[in-house]
Amino acid sequence: MGGDWQELAQAAVIGLLFAFFAAKLISVVVAFKDDNLRITRSPPAVPSPSPADPPPPPASLDGGVGSGSDSDGDWEGVESTELDEDFSAASAFVAASAASGTSVPEEAQLRLYGLYKIATEGPCTAPQPSALKLKARAKWNAWNKLGAMPTEEAMEEYITIVDDLFPNWADGSSAKRKDGDSTMSASGSKGPMGPVFSSLMYEEDQGNESELGDIHVSAREGAIDDVKKHLAAGVEVNIRDSEERTPLHWAVDRGHLSAVEVLVNSNADVNAQDNEGQTALHYAVLCEREDIAELLVKHHADLQIKDGDGNTPQDLCSSTAWSFMNPAN
Amino acid sequence: MAAPNNNDAASASASTSEGAPAAPEDTSIEALARRVQEHMTLANNPSARRHKFWETQPVGQFRDAADVSLPDGAIEPPTPLSEVRADPYPLPAAFEWFTCDLDDDALLADLYALLAHNYVEDDENMFRFNYSPAFLRWALRPPSFFRAWHIGVRATESKKLVAFISGVPARIRARDDVVRMAEINFLCVHKKLRSKRLAPVLIREVTRRVHQENIWQAAYTAGVVLPTPITTCRYWHRSLNPKKLIDVGFSRLGPRMTMSRTVRLYKLPDAPLTPGFRQMELRDVAPVTRLLRAYLARYVVAPDFDELDVEHWLLPQEDVVDSYLVESPETHEITDFCSFYTLPSSVLNNPNYSTLKAAYSYYNVAVKTPLQQLMNDALIVAKQKNYDVFNALDVMENEAFLKELKFGPGDGQLHYYLYNYRIRNGIKPSELGLVLL
Repeated sequence: MGGDWQELAQAAVIGLLFAFFAAKLISVVVAFKDDNLRITRSPPAVPSPSPADPPPPPASLDGGVGSGSDSDGDWEGVESTELDEDFSAASAFVAASAASGTSVPEEAQLRLYGLYKIATEGPCTAPQPSALKLKARAKWNAWNKLGAMPTEEAMEEYITIVDDLFPNWADGSSAKRKDGDSTMSASGSKGPMGPVFSSLMYEEDQGNESELGDIHVSAREGAIDDVKKHLAAGVEVNIRDSEERTPLHWAVDRGHLSAVEVLVNSNADVNAQDNEGQTALHYAVLCEREDIAELLVKHHADLQIKDGDGNTPQDLCSSTAWSFMNPAN
Repeated sequence: MAAPNNNDAASASASTSEGAPAAPEDTSIEALARRVQEHMTLANNPSARRHKFWETQPVGQFRDAADVSLPDGAIEPPTPLSEVRADPYPLPAAFEWFTCDLDDDALLADLYALLAHNYVEDDENMFRFNYSPAFLRWALRPPSFFRAWHIGVRATESKKLVAFISGVPARIRARDDVVRMAEINFLCVHKKLRSKRLAPVLIREVTRRVHQENIWQAAYTAGVVLPTPITTCRYWHRSLNPKKLIDVGFSRLGPRMTMSRTVRLYKLPDAPLTPGFRQMELRDVAPVTRLLRAYLARYVVAPDFDELDVEHWLLPQEDVVDSYLVESPETHEITDFCSFYTLPSSVLNNPNYSTLKAAYSYYNVAVKTPLQQLMNDALIVAKQKNYDVFNALDVMENEAFLKELKFGPGDGQLHYYLYNYRIRNGIKPSELGLVLL
């Protein structure tokens, strides 16, 4: 009995030791594997990457693949290269067009797949799928046959194929990569260092409950044919929107001289006031639209109507060069 | 910014906690957990990509973010000066280093042209910064500047200036520690040479020259996330000339909003409202310095300005920097101060406009006058001087007036960085008292 226990205890200790070393070994392997993962892109689940999941920089930027440690490799990595950006844009485009059902010849599809895998994961190390799995086997072959093709070469060929298949792909993509002037890898829009150009973020007119009729919209857009159509269909020329603006107010506000002409020639009321008491001439003056203001004055727009703040168009006119605003002339 | 000669040393000291996977001691569960966490972070944050270059540099590393044992302060100690690399880093064939003498008007014109055509643009390539020659002289030649830090790259054949980077010396305080630093700026590579990868070697070279002056820390900004920002600020914009801003595409008019109402919304009084509000003059340098030093002491990271600095950075220069203060009409004491610098941008491809004139909020100190009122007066003088827009970061106390004074949020984020200086957990924009140009 005593011997048995001893043996059992020994076995248990050995087992524990074994388990410990196994765990150590696994963690070492995981750690190593982890290191290797770093020098590749995250492997995509599908042949084309999802556009929502932009690939990290290519292998050559991240690890000591190929080039020596200090010379060439150190030139990279501060910025992602143009090639990398082009490749990301191209692969995102391919993913998007695949998702929208654009058909690409099977041969090109497989070539792109193989190049993508090379560019993102390097040479094929996956086991060959069964010959019965036709599709998987074809993909594997496409990858495997590229052997140890360099990452950059793969990216370049990938972009070339996409250029051939979709000559205008870069126009539609959000990133205007193909325009030499807009490849901003080094010190352009989002350079590696330095200041940032910011412009106002567009905020939907929240809380703006204005409701416009169709003719107001046409006047705002300067669509004179549509304005004429609405008038011909019997829409009242001075019809008010929810802020009591007439189509004339909108045409003046957006600076559409020809639409203003159409409206005043259709007997629009040049002195109609919006809910803040402003006339089309108030608008023209505030928006510094001289030609329109002059036209309105010619059509007897009143220079002395006060808006809700007590200002006449004359009061609001900052330019002394507008002689027509001066009744003395 | 690069370590002088041995990057491996830099990366080793910056990443000791990471350890080599081969060392059995380090393959602990914690190390594993850290790796997993690191990869999760990377997966969740596509902008937090791997940065081979920056991972070799003494900068805060993403992987160290959760490590509370790392102390604030220098990440690695200074190298003996004798070990700083003596020769410039090699450039690709056909290019040569060229130290720029900004006293030389012709050279200044070359630098201006390089930047005006090749420097920072917005994402849609509608605008490009257009720093004026006078601004460049101001920005690059503060007290005790180093000419050697104005680093150009020329084409050997044509002598054409094709790339540039600069540093200027500054004393920057981080918590209680006043550190001599270089402020790195104006990194620009000619558009036609973007594929030459000149930027990293420019950064290395300026680092080397900074080290040669026995300076081991630097401050810089970027629009991209690098390892690791001390804070991330947002730009806010106050329309002064809304019609032009809409016409050039800087801002947009909602379909149900009228231009006329927008114009009225941003109208400002014709003259400043605060009694005693006037332009700063040379005689104000001492009181302004006192005001500013007391004020900046509140912030975790801020410049340590003396009178020479204030005279250089804040004394008004036409279309470069504007400073105003409030002088009490009774006591003639200087009670408040505000300033902005002038950074126009080229408007690209617009038939009606070629330039956007922008004022950028610089340093402001409100003691007696409410900050909002002080800044409203700054807006008024900027409008008087025909600026189209007034920009401000959400640094210092700026958040307190942005919305009230009708600033709108911008699409630009600006990340602030320190080189070889760790501030664990970073700081909030409101704890930052430093504005880089």
